[in-house]
Amino acid sequence: MASTKGQRLQFDLDDDDLKLFCEEADEQIELLDTSLVQLEGEPDPDLLQQIFRAAHTLKGSSATIGHKKMASLTHAMETVLDAVRQGRRRPGSEVVDALLAGLDALRVLADEVVTGIDSGIETARLEADLHAVLESHDETEAAAPAEASGVAYRLDPEQAEAALAGMDNGTSLYFLEVAIAVECQLPSIRSFQALQEADALGQVLATWPEREHVEAGAGEFSLACFLLSSQSDEQLQAAIQAVTDVQSVQARSIAPEDIDKPLTTTSQPAHPGSGLTGRPQLTLVEDGAPADGARGSSRKATQSVRIDVERLDGLMNLVGELVIDRTRLQQIREQLSAVLKDANLTELTENFEETTSHLARVTDELQEQIMRSRMLPVRSVLTRLPRLVRDVAAKCGKKVELVTAGEETELDRSVIEEISDPLVHILRNAVDHGIESPEERRAAGKPETGLVTVTAWNQETYIYLSVKDDGKGIDTSTLRRKVVEKGLMTRDAAESASEQEAIQWIFLPGLSTAKQISDVSGRGVGMDIVRTNIERLNGQITLHSTPGTGSEVIIQLPLTLATTKALMVVANATVYAIPLVSVTEALADHEADIHTVNGRKTLRLRQRLLPMIDLARALGDGRPRQMEAGRFVVAARHGERQVAFMVDRLLGEQDVVVKSLGHMVGNRRGLTGATILGDGTLGLIVDTASLVSEQAALATPA
Amino acid sequence: MATKAEPTTELTGQPATEEHVVIFRLADEYYALDIQTVQEIVRMQTITSIPGSDFWVEGITNLRGRVVPVIDLRKRCGVDAGEYSTETRIVVVSSGNGMVGLIVDAVSEVLRIPGDQVEPPSSIVSVPENTYLRGIAKLDERLVSLMDLEGVLPAEIEDDLAYAASRAA
Repeated sequence: MASTKGQRLQFDLDDDDLKLFCEEADEQIELLDTSLVQLEGEPDPDLLQQIFRAAHTLKGSSATIGHKKMASLTHAMETVLDAVRQGRRRPGSEVVDALLAGLDALRVLADEVVTGIDSGIETARLEADLHAVLESHDETEAAAPAEASGVAYRLDPEQAEAALAGMDNGTSLYFLEVAIAVECQLPSIRSFQALQEADALGQVLATWPEREHVEAGAGEFSLACFLLSSQSDEQLQAAIQAVTDVQSVQARSIAPEDIDKPLTTTSQPAHPGSGLTGRPQLTLVEDGAPADGARGSSRKATQSVRIDVERLDGLMNLVGELVIDRTRLQQIREQLSAVLKDANLTELTENFEETTSHLARVTDELQEQIMRSRMLPVRSVLTRLPRLVRDVAAKCGKKVELVTAGEETELDRSVIEEISDPLVHILRNAVDHGIESPEERRAAGKPETGLVTVTAWNQETYIYLSVKDDGKGIDTSTLRRKVVEKGLMTRDAAESASEQEAIQWIFLPGLSTAKQISDVSGRGVGMDIVRTNIERLNGQITLHSTPGTGSEVIIQLPLTLATTKALMVVANATVYAIPLVSVTEALADHEADIHTVNGRKTLRLRQRLLPMIDLARALGDGRPRQMEAGRFVVAARHGERQVAFMVDRLLGEQDVVVKSLGHMVGNRRGLTGATILGDGTLGLIVDTASLVSEQAALATPA
Repeated sequence: MATKAEPTTELTGQPATEEHVVIFRLADEYYALDIQTVQEIVRMQTITSIPGSDFWVEGITNLRGRVVPVIDLRKRCGVDAGEYSTETRIVVVSSGNGMVGLIVDAVSEVLRIPGDQVEPPSSIVSVPENTYLRGIAKLDERLVSLMDLEGVLPAEIEDDLAYAASRAA
């Protein structure tokens, strides 16, 4: 089997189907990913049902496209889940492990559909494992109902009463078992049709699976029901057998005195065709619209539409233009009213003012709404974490509990896509490096199970994500030794740094504090990469740690990437936008506490000394000065580093739409792009992250 | 325009075809660009200079919401720089690298030049490292240099352009 690796695979689907398949597979795999972990220990019936359905859907869709391996694996998983659902098997860790292993393989198999290349993954062993899990007996087996081979079917007292009443009126009670052919691709529709047929034949008292499941399109390969009908058992069998893909129908007549006795399914489906010659000419819509329509109407109507992200991006760009026009109109309005004041045209200017301010309101609202439409709850990222924590904790032999909060917090989908990897990395670090082993924790007087909390929340126009652990905190003595060993710092500098400073070294490239490179964390992707990724999103990352009590990493991100809030300044006749996320303070230089230290201008701000940098010069503006530089000072931070930029003028805050500088100009050092200003000219957006760290490093004596 | 059905094979500059060009002036020299590449011609407008860029990159400008880099062709072609006048125009062309504005002293006309009036550049002038002249057209009273657009524009810019473009997208 392994030899098939790399071979091209052919599946039975076109591009549209592929998209559909991928969406559905992703959705179901995602669902399994989050819920399988919760399965362990306490099998909540609803959850079980959900998981079973997800596995079942995957089986169906993979069988539809002819992915035999995937269908067969999902079938094995489904069998195990079915046993759990029916209480025949308790979901212990070996069950969950086998299922999770299967899930991992499913991901690979689903990818095969996209790549069209055989991954060479071995599923036979996984299926055998799943099978073994099913076979292994455990104590719950005994506790299972006596009819271990099937489910017990019984009418509840109310239904039994109705049945007896009906039997008094001359109708008979039947127990119907319908089996749908295994090769059927739409068993849910067929079982729904069979149920509809039963409804037409009499009064259906109880169904397995429950009626709403069947009607919601979640029916499966078998359907059982109690039916009150005036027809004979043969007539019933014939009528339902007429439904496409129904393999067998069994109608058992129930005597009034047997109503309270539980029934079990027969182990063998009825032999098809027995006494069923010449299917009755019942009109039944096959593949029909009524079935689909009924399905649709009984499904909970979700008020949402899938929109292509590109289309939303396009809309967002247009709104961006609109925002620029708004600002521009407002400027014209101000100029106009200044000019027209004397000319006694008050009414005209008032009208104009009214219109522009209305336009401004509408634009703002439109922008807000479109931005909102791009927002997703952060849940989609957080739901992946329990599995991750479980795996990592198991690998490091640690006991960890994960608590998440703020799943409803929304952020832009582009941010969501980008935030997942850094978050996973931070969490992995927290479990691998932060939380101690159970023995260490006991020795330290802590509970054996460590606690990791992931919280998301909104504040103003930012979203915050915090990963907090109650582990041992960051060992700064190790860090101090490491930075010297790796030649990142001199011994003196390393030893004289404060605790808070030393903690930040964790973000230095090429530094790993783990005692040994582990399978979990030591993969060459350090916190420096995490920081770079966050900063690319115009975000900030901060780290706090207390030895013995734990660490907390806080990520601060803008709500959207399409617009950025910025402080607009002028430096040597050019307008620059400094992203507000990095601005800590802006002040006139006569208010500022400026000193000269070692021949450098230095700003003293809240007990800190910030090197003062001429913004225009730092960016490489070599043109002659148009006016004396440094009338205003803007303090900007990047991580723990701070500098003070000297600028000529402050223009205030503005939402800026980030535009590329274009190919001819390239990626200029210290600039991230351009933005259109109110007067239609362009301003340049400062890349504070790179500029602050570069300038702070230059200013620090080596 | 009258000869509508005529095949447009002017790209190769083969004789017996026609060059349909926009003619413009830099100082006292005349140049021509293939009309297919010219998107529009706008009056001089505010250009924001980019610190640290090449001297002939004048900066960037806002063309109806698009950020378009602008190149001063006089500086690029080594023609003596002069003041901008009311005749100064920005010729916006579309290149393989997107839209670019070219500052010229004036745009004079749109012309069809018969292929047999075009000669290879080496026969008249020999410019070292000539990357942007693909021919000289001898018209009645003047010489017009046919400019090769991709040659006059700088080659690939260093840096990770894809990254810059992706984050601003």
